[in-house]
Amino acid sequence: MTLTKYIVGYLFSLCATALAFGIVELHIAHHHRWPTHAQLLPTIVALALLQFIVQMICFLHLSFKKEERLRLLAFGFAAIVVGILTSGSLWIMFSLNGRMMPNASQMEMYMQDQNGI
Amino acid sequence: MNMNDKNLFGLWMYLMTDLVLFASLFAVFVVLRGQATGVGGALFETPTIAIETFVLLTSSFTCGVALLCARERRKYLSLAFLLATFLLGAAFLWLEVSEFSRLVHSGTRLSSSGFVSSYFALVGTHGLHIAVALIWMFALLVAVVARGLTEGNVRKLTLLSYFWHFLDLIWIFIFTFVYLLALL
Repeated sequence: MTLTKYIVGYLFSLCATALAFGIVELHIAHHHRWPTHAQLLPTIVALALLQFIVQMICFLHLSFKKEERLRLLAFGFAAIVVGILTSGSLWIMFSLNGRMMPNASQMEMYMQDQNGI
Repeated sequence: MNMNDKNLFGLWMYLMTDLVLFASLFAVFVVLRGQATGVGGALFETPTIAIETFVLLTSSFTCGVALLCARERRKYLSLAFLLATFLLGAAFLWLEVSEFSRLVHSGTRLSSSGFVSSYFALVGTHGLHIAVALIWMFALLVAVVARGLTEGNVRKLTLLSYFWHFLDLIWIFIFTFVYLLALL
């Protein structure tokens, strides 16, 4: 726990935040055409994750050292739960349409198609 | 594992369950953010969000410095940084509350749309955490002024700093997934 660690964490977070806001502003300035959404989305998510990791190390002092082992373990478990919870929710909610039973008229068409009923 | 480690581990377990709480609110928000009735990115003011982010990040840094000073038993320096943290935190909360009141005054209600409901739930929960942390911080400021940097006060400051850094951590995801995505 040193001042250097806090300064590094703070400066890195400042840069990552400014960069994230900056490229979104750039995107708006170019009338939402460049950088494209496909480029932008992974970039700002990556910047957020990177900042998360840096703050975890610099501010919350998480490390692979022996005395932090238990905290790291608890965090690892929480991360797994969070991963299942969020990705599972999004997977289910955004594939609902595909999983729905078709309505009666669609079903009839399908059956006529398949079986000539 | 000594007593300090046990306290910290207890707080850490709470923080990890809090992480799961926020994760579920984030999941709800991402699912519902498409369910908006005529509102979207136009709802938010980007400069306010940038200032809020900067203020909270800086307060996270000053909180860490306050803890370092306290460990070296430099009472007044520690108090100054803790007070700075408190004021920055209060400024953040004030910006957030005025953002909420601006939305309400422009006719946005909790029940306006799925997007707005999940937005208020997520950002409001974070704001509530900040408010609780500020009350804790104020009590600690009073305690340090009254009794100095005793063993107990330094321990409380350690726990508070972890809680405060954690709230800044959650904010990274709020400004990324709530505000920046709304601008795209």
